[in-house]
Amino acid sequence: MARPTAKPGKASPSSSATPPTPSLLASFFHRSAPLYVSAALLRVVFLLYGLWQDANSPVKYTDIDYLVFTDAARFVARGQSPYERETYRYTPILAWLLLPTTQTTGNPMVDAALFSSGKVLFAAADLVAGWLLERVLAKSMDGASARKFAAIWLLNPMVATISTRGSSEGLLGVLVMALLSAVMSRRITLAGLLLGFSVHFKIYPFIYAPAIVWWMDADRMSKTQPSKQPAKQPSLLSKLLAFVTPARLQLAVTSLATFLALNFAMYTLYGPPFLNHTYLHHITRIDHRHNFSPYNTQLYLASSPSAGLGQVDTTAPTLRIESIAFLPQLLLACVLIPLATAKRDLPAAMLAQTFAFVAFNKVCTSQYFLWYMVLLPLYLPRSSFLRNKRLGTAALALWVLAQGAWLQQGYLLEFLGESAFLPGLWVASLGFFLVNCWVLGVIIGDVGEWSRSGVVV
Amino acid sequence: MRERITYVQKLGDSLEPSAVRVDDDVIQGPEVHAVREDRLTIALDELPSELRTVVAGTQDLHIRWVSTAAYGTVSPLLTRLPPGFHLFFTPGRNHAVTDGLCSILSGIFGDISCTTPAESFTAVHEDRFQYFQELNDLSHFIQYAKGQLCGPSDESCSARLDTLSEAGSLDLSYDISQKVLRVTALWPYQRQHVHATSRPKVRTEVGILSTDKPKTLEAHEIGISGLLTVLGQDSTPSPTMFSFASRHRDAESAFSAEFLTPTGLHPTLQLQLTSANPPPSTADEDATCTPYAYLTLPRTIFADKYQLSDPLFLASKNLTALRHTTQPVDLEAPEYAMAQWGSTVLLELSPPPPTQPHQQQEGEWTASIPLHLRYLAPAPGGYATAAVPYPAVFWACEPAQGGTVFPPNPFERTHLGYDGLFRGDTVFWHVEPRPAAGGGLLVNEVRVPVLDVDRAGWVNAGTAAAVLVGFAWVVWKIVGVWAGGVNGGGAEEREKKRQ
Repeated sequence: MARPTAKPGKASPSSSATPPTPSLLASFFHRSAPLYVSAALLRVVFLLYGLWQDANSPVKYTDIDYLVFTDAARFVARGQSPYERETYRYTPILAWLLLPTTQTTGNPMVDAALFSSGKVLFAAADLVAGWLLERVLAKSMDGASARKFAAIWLLNPMVATISTRGSSEGLLGVLVMALLSAVMSRRITLAGLLLGFSVHFKIYPFIYAPAIVWWMDADRMSKTQPSKQPAKQPSLLSKLLAFVTPARLQLAVTSLATFLALNFAMYTLYGPPFLNHTYLHHITRIDHRHNFSPYNTQLYLASSPSAGLGQVDTTAPTLRIESIAFLPQLLLACVLIPLATAKRDLPAAMLAQTFAFVAFNKVCTSQYFLWYMVLLPLYLPRSSFLRNKRLGTAALALWVLAQGAWLQQGYLLEFLGESAFLPGLWVASLGFFLVNCWVLGVIIGDVGEWSRSGVVV
Repeated sequence: MRERITYVQKLGDSLEPSAVRVDDDVIQGPEVHAVREDRLTIALDELPSELRTVVAGTQDLHIRWVSTAAYGTVSPLLTRLPPGFHLFFTPGRNHAVTDGLCSILSGIFGDISCTTPAESFTAVHEDRFQYFQELNDLSHFIQYAKGQLCGPSDESCSARLDTLSEAGSLDLSYDISQKVLRVTALWPYQRQHVHATSRPKVRTEVGILSTDKPKTLEAHEIGISGLLTVLGQDSTPSPTMFSFASRHRDAESAFSAEFLTPTGLHPTLQLQLTSANPPPSTADEDATCTPYAYLTLPRTIFADKYQLSDPLFLASKNLTALRHTTQPVDLEAPEYAMAQWGSTVLLELSPPPPTQPHQQQEGEWTASIPLHLRYLAPAPGGYATAAVPYPAVFWACEPAQGGTVFPPNPFERTHLGYDGLFRGDTVFWHVEPRPAAGGGLLVNEVRVPVLDVDRAGWVNAGTAAAVLVGFAWVVWKIVGVWAGGVNGGGAEEREKKRQ
């Protein structure tokens, strides 16, 4: 079920970039400790508050997904399949990671701590992702600035809330940052392992494969040896041969081997339910509960038995947009954006890819926003959103307002029972989609501009 | 074929034998305030062929229809079920017959919307199945029964079957061990004249009974006394008195059910009970008595068993625990993508604690049941309706030690859906359902927001246009990046330089 919740404004670059007291702020970012200690403290406070709310209120702080994960872990602890738990749609590895949550000692304090160990893991993943962010940022700026931008992620209350409520999206953050970090330090085998593992974990990181492959051309991978440029115009064949570099092959083989090995292992262990729930579910899913996706209303209409009735014009052999929805999405995320931007700026390319993938997806909930939020600090420092304060404010305001309009319609539907599907929710989701497209266009434009003006990572 | 006609009055209302006149095959008496129950026992070879095929393919089969109109009843005819069409059965070996069950049922009852048992039914145990749906009246069944039972010009037969439209409940019950089908109809507690006529070749027994409380009666027993007459055989009614242990008793309280507004997509069904007191008299002082609600939820709506597992959350709704639910219940699928009829839920309610141990506590209390609507098919106007029948509400009393084993009694009803979820020695004290203020029916309707097909004409084109515009804009910017790689500087860059 889509449970989009209002978390406006957390992507704000200005929240951490506008210093109220410059000297204090400067000293805050001067060393690593204050940043990481406060990021950890923030999560400890949220975690403890969550424990208190769960114990005292019928309205729970803990995310329903966390109960799904921990239930699945309990099945695993009993030697059963995690897919015994309805709506568990993840790799078994997630349930294994949460095995400590199934332990009980009889001491309620210790048991509560054990049950929360998964949240601690997710929160720790946040911190590691932040640290990786800082490392990547530090390649193009001084340490204090790198920490300042990493703070957008590390001190972001939305990120801290999501992980301490027990959502596993934070794990994806650390995996993607580790992947980027490994690629940029040219550790190909590690990158292949991470890519294969992330795709096994959550599918969507496969979009990074074409960008990384396109980025790692012979020039970039072997800076010591100048690449041999044939004097003549290269033939198509020689171009193709030149494309197949050892590094690319190494990445392809390691990532594919990791992905296949993991899936083979999981299939051997848990059989068809593993495939059905982890992967095939996403193809065959029929739950069209309202979410941010522009296709949502259309999917609801098309899935229902009345889709062929006279009210809707089906006289002409119309092409249903939802049946080709994957085309613009994959064309942008896997082909056009990588080709245009990966070689110019890999982190920004990955941000744009993720943004396009989420905006054009058939299902879109607010958890998906976390997928691109982890990459945002890598793009923001040189973005026109920060350089042009008016543009930045406008983009943020539009993004928040469009979401707000959708949430308001969603509230009318979900809680007041008003038929807000048409035109309200539909128009709101299309509006939010167009705002996302506009922001995506600006990001892509920025990458082009950097390469022209010679700003290189 | 045998027939049993019973009038049951309340305690203290009894009839002198002299008040009743028996004339061969007709019995007539004064007006009484009673429940009337008619039971027809039909041997297997007397059944119409399609019914015979159905029951012959099963180990046991129980069809129970309950009226949506509230009706009063008296002990011992107290069992309650949610209004609608219920079916419980254990298939036999002949699965071909089982597959045809739904179409045969449609032929008998009218609008039965199951496809096949495999798709539409839910499993109660490994080999027992359950089906439920809304069915507001018996008009189709009445026509069917007229065709089977009445001759072409048999007006009295037709007229008698027409009275089924006022019945409170109708049961068709078959068990392989007895090889007979019992058809039992029950009419509400009301004033009516005693009158019955036997039909040729049908042994007809008429009982005019009332609840009795002889001194020898034990606490777990129900006493019955009155007059019994076999038409065409007895010239005068013979007095009778008997007692038996009954699983079904009267809690002497009532409840109503209503959805809290606004209902939204997650409506809450609130039960309002008139009494928080355990049943007035129990045989066993140590027996634990707890109130329960048994819901049959059509597939438009469901309860989330995971949501109903947190003690704090349950306590805030005056619930103790979810004792049983159909497995599995899809938590995501829209209504139109499902064939399963729906689900049953047994919830233990949590009455407010008595203020003092022995003080009788009066006063109403509520329990709230959080439910979730599925997406329904798009409809003109943007709204559809989901009808949710009243639950059956009862106190279940389980003796501390192994208690009475209940021998079959003349008014026993088993296979009710919830009785099998309790120990065999449990006594059910039934709480009477009363329509909530305003409506007269034991059904609550929820207005469900759906996609308005009248406005959906632009959805396909509009979505396509928006996606195209968004896509084109992004592609335009990508082209700009490529072109910029050669030319350097587009319009946007010049603009930036100006700032």
